[in-house]
Amino acid sequence: MSALAEIQPYVEAFKARPRAAEPAWLKQRRDGAMQRFAEIGWPTRKQEAWRFTDLQPLQRAPFPPASAASLITAADLAPWIYAEAAHRIVLVDGTFVPELSTVGALPEGVWLGSTAQTLRDRPELLNGALRETDTLGAQPFVALNAALFTDGFVLALEPNAVLDRAVEIVHFGRAAGRSAHLRNLILLDIGSRATVIETFAGEGTYWTNAVGVIAVGAGAALRHVKLQDESGAAIHLGHQRVELGRDARYENFTLSLGGRLARTDIHLKFDGEGAACGLFGATLLRGEQEGTIATVVDHATPRCVTREYYKSVATDRAHGVFLGTIGVRPHAQKTDANQLSKNLLLGARAAIDAKPELEILADDVKCSHGATVGDLDETALFYIESRGIPPVDARRMLVEAFAAEVIERIEDDTAMRAHLGRHVARWLAGGVA
Amino acid sequence: MLEIKNLHARISEGREILKGVDLTVKPGEIHAIMGPNGSGKSTLAGVLSGKPGYEVTEGQVLFQGRDLLAMAADERARDGVFLAFQYPVEIPGVNNMYFLRAALNAVRKRRGESEMDAGQFLKAVRAKLKLLELGEDLLQRGVNVGFSGGEKKRNEIFQMAMLEPKLAILDETDSGLDIDALQMVSRGINALRAPERAIVMITHYQRLLEHVVPDRVHVLSGGRIVKSGGKELALELEQTGYGAYGDAA
Repeated sequence: MSALAEIQPYVEAFKARPRAAEPAWLKQRRDGAMQRFAEIGWPTRKQEAWRFTDLQPLQRAPFPPASAASLITAADLAPWIYAEAAHRIVLVDGTFVPELSTVGALPEGVWLGSTAQTLRDRPELLNGALRETDTLGAQPFVALNAALFTDGFVLALEPNAVLDRAVEIVHFGRAAGRSAHLRNLILLDIGSRATVIETFAGEGTYWTNAVGVIAVGAGAALRHVKLQDESGAAIHLGHQRVELGRDARYENFTLSLGGRLARTDIHLKFDGEGAACGLFGATLLRGEQEGTIATVVDHATPRCVTREYYKSVATDRAHGVFLGTIGVRPHAQKTDANQLSKNLLLGARAAIDAKPELEILADDVKCSHGATVGDLDETALFYIESRGIPPVDARRMLVEAFAAEVIERIEDDTAMRAHLGRHVARWLAGGVA
Repeated sequence: MLEIKNLHARISEGREILKGVDLTVKPGEIHAIMGPNGSGKSTLAGVLSGKPGYEVTEGQVLFQGRDLLAMAADERARDGVFLAFQYPVEIPGVNNMYFLRAALNAVRKRRGESEMDAGQFLKAVRAKLKLLELGEDLLQRGVNVGFSGGEKKRNEIFQMAMLEPKLAILDETDSGLDIDALQMVSRGINALRAPERAIVMITHYQRLLEHVVPDRVHVLSGGRIVKSGGKELALELEQTGYGAYGDAA
């Protein structure tokens, strides 16, 4: 298909969508975003940020937006449910399903609801949901999302509100050949605190295009876990835009297991002094899976800390990509940032591209980065086998240990570590070539 | 139990190290293989346990009448061959208890025994830990991670005590041990002496043999066994050194 023909179905879908009940400002922004998408079109491999990502599975055929949620039951979701969560929002094919959700009792100063519901009841919360980058940036999928999204979730905490137990968001895809455009917001005001686990799962061939807008205010703290376990035929593009205020804490862990084509983008900006972020994750790939983690951290203010650690395992003919940029602006002195990408290449036809990048414009900073690509340790394999454990189990043990080492970075949360560990074990039960 | 006949082996694509080893070990016996550095001691341990990187060019090894060299390393272990490593491997992220239980259950399954549940396993583990004066906290750590040199060697003997092999090959288990650790390790080995079990101790020094008295002592030099005798041969070597056997260290 030509570039224009590829985007045309989405332009048509935008024109055809019902939009009666929306406020004027939103309509206007959507128009701008659609226009921007039509201008820039799909990314090409000539663009540095997309150089390593093969978008073919997305370009072979159009994925018009799903019009309604497929019928699914609680049993369909059971394998992914996080038992420790006290509040749960379920979105199917991009639409909130109240029957499967349990918002539960919320402490004072906490709002949790679907994006559509928030637009009706608390429209002021959504002012920040659409950004200039939707209409001016060079992120076509973010622009398309701004134009087409109908739902998502919004979690907003007022100053000093605290959620002791996790909020769970389950995104489930099942509409064959359709796309879901989710716009999700997590807004933590001054001194508030929360843990959010977002799970992406589904069945069949579909496209999830999720955009998260996350703001963590002064002294607030957010632990944000993403379990990307889409169906093996699905396409997952998840873009998270994070802004951290003074002394804020943000920890993101992405466990990426599913999808034929999956990409997680995190754009994080320090907006106040003394804030810290931890960006961690593990990606496990098999078959023909294509998996990308791309992070951009903007140290725009002094005395902020970045700890970044991603691991990936590629078997069979899979392809893993890590793109990590840390930028330190001229006045962002006393920045303390390090970034590490460790990768296991386990198939002769598997491939991994790792591209760590530092752009340092300040002179009083502590920054480091590194990337390794290797195979399983032969001496460790022999040691395990020499105790009677078959090679296939020995390999599994070592891959599990490889992933566990980065899951350990989620401190003081045994239940969350165990939850992610179980999903790694489930993936490993499928065998490691 | 173990019959080694005219065994020749080399490092893959490298020079020949074993040049015709002959050795027979019967059940219930403890044999010591001594020799200078570079005589082929570790190669012999590696070939017997199935370590990758070696190539057998000639000869035969029978274990309980079966062709040992045709078996994969894990298969040998399940059938009762145990190698105590000269340099036990650290495996970060693999919990010691989980590892040991997987190993024990693999071996038990092969022996036609039922898998141990957590309770039974812990009971068995505690008794053996005590024998080697190892703390229970060791179980929750990564395999050999953060262990001292002595702890690593004691952990090897602890694993051996758990797995109850038919044939144990101890590769320089005494190296790097202080006198207390040597005694603990020796106690562990002696506790495993049994009529149905054979033990082959590979060592450079005689001192382990003061604590674990062997039935037979062999001198390996230049890739062959050049002399065999009773326990008194070890003492003789202690006095004369390996000089008389060529290939000096």
